[in-house]
Amino acid sequence: MTVTSAPARATPRQAPQAAPRNMARLLWVELRHNAMPLVLPLIAVIFWFDSYRIAATLPPMWVVRLYYILGQGHALVDFAPFVAGVAAWMGSRDGRHGMGDLVTATVRPRWEAQLATWAATVIWAVGGYLVLMAVTLALLGRAVAWGGPPWWPVAAGAAGIAAFASLGFALGACFPSRFIAPVAAFGGLFAMGTASRIGFSAAGGWALILPTMSNGNFGQDAGIFYPWLPDLPIDRVVFAAGVAVAAVGLLGLPVSAGGPRLRRSAAVVTATGAAAAVAAIALAFTAYVGHDGTVIPALHDAASDRPIPYAPVCGHPGIPVCLQPAYRPYLPDVTAALRPVISQVTGLPGAPARARQVAALFAAGSAAGPNGVGQILTLSGNPPALSMPLGAIALPRSFGADSASFIGQLKVEAVHAFVIPGGSYGDPAQQAVEAALLQNAGIPLATQPSVLGATPWPLMNGGPRTAGRYPQPVAAAARRFAALPAATRHAWLAAHMPALRAGQLTPGQLP
Amino acid sequence: MNVELTGLTRKFGRTQAVAGVTLEAGPGVFGLLGPNGAGKTSLLRMMATVLPPTSGTLRLLGRDPGGYGPRREIRRRLGYLPQTLGYYPGFTVYDFVEYFALLKDMPPGQVPRAVATAIEQVGLGDKARVKLRTLSGGMLRRAGIAQAIVNRPELLLLDEPTAGLDPEQRVAFRALLREFGQRATVVVSTHLVEDVAAACSEVSLMDSGRLVFHGTPGELIARGEGHGVGDAPLERGYSAVLAAARS
Repeated sequence: MTVTSAPARATPRQAPQAAPRNMARLLWVELRHNAMPLVLPLIAVIFWFDSYRIAATLPPMWVVRLYYILGQGHALVDFAPFVAGVAAWMGSRDGRHGMGDLVTATVRPRWEAQLATWAATVIWAVGGYLVLMAVTLALLGRAVAWGGPPWWPVAAGAAGIAAFASLGFALGACFPSRFIAPVAAFGGLFAMGTASRIGFSAAGGWALILPTMSNGNFGQDAGIFYPWLPDLPIDRVVFAAGVAVAAVGLLGLPVSAGGPRLRRSAAVVTATGAAAAVAAIALAFTAYVGHDGTVIPALHDAASDRPIPYAPVCGHPGIPVCLQPAYRPYLPDVTAALRPVISQVTGLPGAPARARQVAALFAAGSAAGPNGVGQILTLSGNPPALSMPLGAIALPRSFGADSASFIGQLKVEAVHAFVIPGGSYGDPAQQAVEAALLQNAGIPLATQPSVLGATPWPLMNGGPRTAGRYPQPVAAAARRFAALPAATRHAWLAAHMPALRAGQLTPGQLP
Repeated sequence: MNVELTGLTRKFGRTQAVAGVTLEAGPGVFGLLGPNGAGKTSLLRMMATVLPPTSGTLRLLGRDPGGYGPRREIRRRLGYLPQTLGYYPGFTVYDFVEYFALLKDMPPGQVPRAVATAIEQVGLGDKARVKLRTLSGGMLRRAGIAQAIVNRPELLLLDEPTAGLDPEQRVAFRALLREFGQRATVVVSTHLVEDVAAACSEVSLMDSGRLVFHGTPGELIARGEGHGVGDAPLERGYSAVLAAARS
């Protein structure tokens, strides 16, 4: 040790404007020594395995690709346990290292020092999340031809990360020990697991506040035909931010945290955060599922209800068939599905003169239109037009579907829309005609039950989907009708379609 | 007087760690001696404003630390090295000292120079960018001293500052104490009587929470002449005073 003679001087006094600079420098020191960046690579690997890898295989539309990551909250599921654990580790740092006396004996209130550590922890966690999301969106978006990703759900995820970081930090600060990090991580995992389970089972109410609840919040044609409804994500941001603020405020309440004024401020911060979280839950109770997603009246902007204009892309499998540009990759499949159907019904009463894609509407509650409009293919108007809500049908590469199943389902729904009005199962004669038309459209009678299993009209006596079969009178009439020459069948349909649709025929009356 | 204690008491449950200590100290180096459990650390923690007294009055640098505002002003002028130094293993020496300079609310423009000076003063200039986890016990102690003196305190409280220092470092440290003692009040709690002999202008001896001696090192030596047990004159005075207090 050496003695250097430093010039004698009075103890420096802090200028008022210097405090923010000091805090900024303190934050910089904390950022450089935070443990969060050490765990971010591990989170990235888990995120890639659990979320990105799956999303990248889904159809190239934002709403489909991000359903898994943001709609069901898998990004948060991947982040939360690690973020909570590391934040608890950072929060417990002073206690674990016996720094209490040293830090308390300084000018800065203990709470301010903790805030610097907390802020650094949150900045790393949220920053890591945003960077990972930016990379994810950039990679996933390369194949997406229409629209942009929804930003509010991304913000809700960031707020959720901040909430988990804050809760973990507060837990660590209150119970400092080397075991608090795994306890907090397990708590985060348990919370997300429970939220996921509730998200799959609950339909609404307070459960909508959970970031893993996708009901009415994500999917269908959001961001394609109509804007993403930000109502619920905004509510979730308020909730998560409230939780984060309340957790941080709690740290300022103990006597050791600082002076009376600062503790009063901490109490106000805590109360504000708690009030925001409670208000967000209360708002969730007012939510209802509209055509375009979850609507929260107090947060709803009417501008979000305006449809998104687009120039359709069209094909011509006998009639004009037009799709929203986001569905351009599926135009060949759609024309391939409709061509054999259109060829059988052209010229018949009520046959579609054109087909156009319409928005898939949320089916929950009473929001879907009458007779399945927005959920299944329907025929309406004069001249009749086939409306196709393709967003409600499992697209190839999603949920185990492939191109053949997509085409098969389109054929079934198109024939069903033509033969059986009102979206019902139909009577035996209608079912027989439908089965015959489908057979001649390329779906053999024996395989129809499995195709029908993916529609709203699975066979009543089905059992396992592939084991289902038509009732004997229906099957016999269908075979008989399908075996007729095309011209004979067409002529009979031209004469009997009104009666068939009205339910006035029996299978025995079919030729 | 920078330190004024009147009937200062601190209890932990039924244990009375400090029992009615009355003491005054001005600028200079003040030694606090006593056996284990005498109450030195509790007294120092009260003077560091991290432990409130159970009873009695405490005035530091002319202020009552019971009020939040005065306590902040005291802390602004305070340097404190606890007996057990807590530290963040991942911090470098520079980061550690800078961290406390910032917590002590030093003007940002003065922080870099003050940190560098404090690190040089404890002889860790060549270790400034080394992480604390790699330092020896003595070096850590010196890093702890650096954070205590970084704000050039008017009241410097050091609890066992020379524990772990080698003889050469200890000599240099005593010189540092004497330099600080010229303008500030330095209270050094220690077991090592040679530290007191070499650096302190005043010394107090505690036993069972009570102050049993207060005077100059020469007066303590005088108490031990022909009575005490020990190799050095100050040790004999130390043991003689303790024996008298316990009898």
